[in-house]
Amino acid sequence: MSVFTLIVNGKQHLLDADSEMPLLWALRDLLSLTGTKYGCGMGICGACTVHDDGEPVRSCQVPLSATKGKHYVTIEGLSASGEHPCQKAWIAEDVSQCGYCQAGMIMQAAALLRRKPKPSDEDIDADLADHVCRCGTYQRLRRAVHRASAEVLKT
Amino acid sequence: MTYTRRTFIKTGVLAAGGMFIVVELPAALSSKTAVAFEPNAYISITPDNVIRLWLTRSEMGQGVRTALPMMLAEELEVDLSQVRFEQATPGGRFKGIRLRTSGSGSTVGTYERLRKAGATAREMLIAAAAEQWDVLPSDCRAEKGSVLHVPTNRHITYGELAMAASKQKVPENPPLKEAKHFRIIGTPTRRTDGPSIVNGQAIYGIDVKVPGMLYAVMERCPCIGGKLVKIDATEALSMPGVRHVVPVKSGIATGVAVVGDHTWAAMKGRERLRIEWDPGANQNFDSGHFLKQMHDQLAKEPGGYFVREDGDAKKALAGATKKIEATYEFPFQAHAPLETMNCVANVRPGSCEIWAPTQCPEVAQIETAKMLGLPEDAVKIHVTLLGGGFGRRLFADYVPEAVEVSRAIGKPLQMLWTRSDDMRYGFFHPCDVQHIAGGLDANGQPIAWAQRSIGSDLSMFGFPTEEQKQNPRHYFNDGLPWGSFDNPYNFPNLKADYIPLNSPVPTGPWRAVFYPPTVFARESFLDEMAHAAGADPLEFRLNLLAPGNVLNVGDQKIDRNRLIRVLQVAAEKSGWKGPIAQDADRLWGRGLACNVYSEDCFIAQVADVSVGRKSNDLRVHRIVCAVDCGIVINPEGLEGQAESGITWGLSATLHGGIDFENGRAVQTSFTDFEVLRVNESPVIETHIVPSHHAPGGFGETAVPPVAPAVANAVFAATGKRVRRLPITPESLMASS
Repeated sequence: MSVFTLIVNGKQHLLDADSEMPLLWALRDLLSLTGTKYGCGMGICGACTVHDDGEPVRSCQVPLSATKGKHYVTIEGLSASGEHPCQKAWIAEDVSQCGYCQAGMIMQAAALLRRKPKPSDEDIDADLADHVCRCGTYQRLRRAVHRASAEVLKT
Repeated sequence: MTYTRRTFIKTGVLAAGGMFIVVELPAALSSKTAVAFEPNAYISITPDNVIRLWLTRSEMGQGVRTALPMMLAEELEVDLSQVRFEQATPGGRFKGIRLRTSGSGSTVGTYERLRKAGATAREMLIAAAAEQWDVLPSDCRAEKGSVLHVPTNRHITYGELAMAASKQKVPENPPLKEAKHFRIIGTPTRRTDGPSIVNGQAIYGIDVKVPGMLYAVMERCPCIGGKLVKIDATEALSMPGVRHVVPVKSGIATGVAVVGDHTWAAMKGRERLRIEWDPGANQNFDSGHFLKQMHDQLAKEPGGYFVREDGDAKKALAGATKKIEATYEFPFQAHAPLETMNCVANVRPGSCEIWAPTQCPEVAQIETAKMLGLPEDAVKIHVTLLGGGFGRRLFADYVPEAVEVSRAIGKPLQMLWTRSDDMRYGFFHPCDVQHIAGGLDANGQPIAWAQRSIGSDLSMFGFPTEEQKQNPRHYFNDGLPWGSFDNPYNFPNLKADYIPLNSPVPTGPWRAVFYPPTVFARESFLDEMAHAAGADPLEFRLNLLAPGNVLNVGDQKIDRNRLIRVLQVAAEKSGWKGPIAQDADRLWGRGLACNVYSEDCFIAQVADVSVGRKSNDLRVHRIVCAVDCGIVINPEGLEGQAESGITWGLSATLHGGIDFENGRAVQTSFTDFEVLRVNESPVIETHIVPSHHAPGGFGETAVPPVAPAVANAVFAATGKRVRRLPITPESLMASS
């Protein structure tokens, strides 16, 4: 067991935990930030995606030992009011079905838009192909990213 | 007892278990002190003007948290923005009211009931207002949560009327609105809980936290039906954060649970368990060998259970000018919802509380009560949001596991299945073989059809019954197997039979239950027959549905006109007879398929695909879908379900399947059980055919036609007939 300072959504947390513990379980079980979801534990479904200094990472693949000095943002911290352009677009396009994968999708899409404010369908497909949605919301997902892009470009 | 298709869908009886759970909203607790107007189980209006509607189905993405309140609100005359939602919990006010979610039956099973519940409350509120004002009820009307006295333009809110309304006589047959006056039903409506999902605040089963809760994962016997011989837990218990090691017998497989302070500790402890298993009788089970056994049944005469016979198919086939036949295979399938199975249980002396993402809360309550020797009322079940269901959560096997461990350690805990647990253990869609023979006369007219279904485990439906076992060649009205029994086409000679062949693999309903394999075979073979007859596959089907009459089969009435209409709309919107793209590297083709789900939902799909000339890779570019499922409650939700069902069907068409070797599932994650991703997702167009018929269920309807529409398109593109799923470059390379 080691002591870690984990910075999540702008807040510092002091944790006494196994250095191998994936960030995912620290977020969910130690900090009760359950918006980040477990899907596969192998980094292949995208449900646990969070931001590491703005870049999307699979939190199930990040051990606590690798979190030093990093600033993580989860779905709970993506925007203060829940009004990030992606969150608004997701509601406007009624993307969610069961909704379980959507936090990961939104975190990935938000990072994509920061890097590439006007992505093409191909850009979206390439960037989000590592995410699984078993309900099949892919068509609306593409629409929502374009809608969010329009808002990002406006501001 | 025999469970027919109708009892499955309309009343939800099922031999095996499952459960529902309730999210306890703080608002619900605080209102407990207030006296409320509660004319029935679904509605509660308090004097502080809080209007609550109870949800009697589980939300798993199919949109019941939106569609069900729409039906209530329509008749109650409130806007969805004025109401709060509560998830129903078994027992108490919901004793005797179905909470189970299955068979695309949520809308079908509640449409009349919820509207009547809303109308009852509305009429009582109007009566209360009229009494208070001393005016005629006929001069009053309800709108947006108030009663209006029309001549004087006076308003009074439902909250103000609540106490007086509860003293009114409950009308037996309150008037229901005519469809032309609907202002909520039929209006595209976004899901009511959308914001909580995109903010990460929605609570799924896996997100439940109870004070003092521990976390558990479980190692299960790798072989189906095997047993635990010996555990050495020394090393596991020495891991930091690991608290308990508990053998578990109550779940789908015998196993050993490791309980820790958090999920990670439990997982690390599990890795260090030393367990000796007795693999048991199924250690040599192999799905490839099982498939061969099923093929061996093909020539069996007489076949199995006679499920339908019109005319004399055997004789007609013998006399046909042209006879063709083909065999189709459908592998075992996993549900693989993205939220793996999980349950939080808190067993205390004399009571138990459970939080679970489940499609069948009643059974979880009954089974837990039985297990603990408690009265049912002492078991409280909370239905959370479900991260996908698809039929997997019709089984409550993961509930007793958590209960058993909580009882053993005397503490609340969460039992979580890992992805690999979820993929390897479950109630799989049965592996299935279909054989069809068809006959054409000298003019190329279809005169005979004989479909034999082998292997589907229908035992959960109570099939075959003792009576059927005694007399298998008697005609039985069970409606099974779906898709073969209720073949909508007008063959003068049609035979459907079914040979049960069970494996040790636990099986259960998958999305669209038993339709996918039968419809894959039926719609593919129609295409084969059309080509043998030199006919266009659309015209061939339309000809077989003429004159558009109603087919009475078992307890179903299938209106062929409605199927004709969706075929025509899908053909028109897709440009069925128009040109299709061609290019140097890829062969393009267009295919068609249709189905009737449970007599009340009609669907046709046209797929445009291409196959690499050299690479043989299959791409699905567009699927055009036409639907008539009666009155549509929420067109926005219906379109979503069309996209969802089609994506589900495409995963099975292009990727899916579970193999068993040495008595265990081979696939363990999304690496070897691949599902469709956004980069493979086609353009999906959904066209709703306006209809005045009673609503049909649409959560599963779009699944069955996908595979045959794609396979037929592959044939159109390449001339290769694929009769086995999934369709892979290797299978295309091998097909002639």
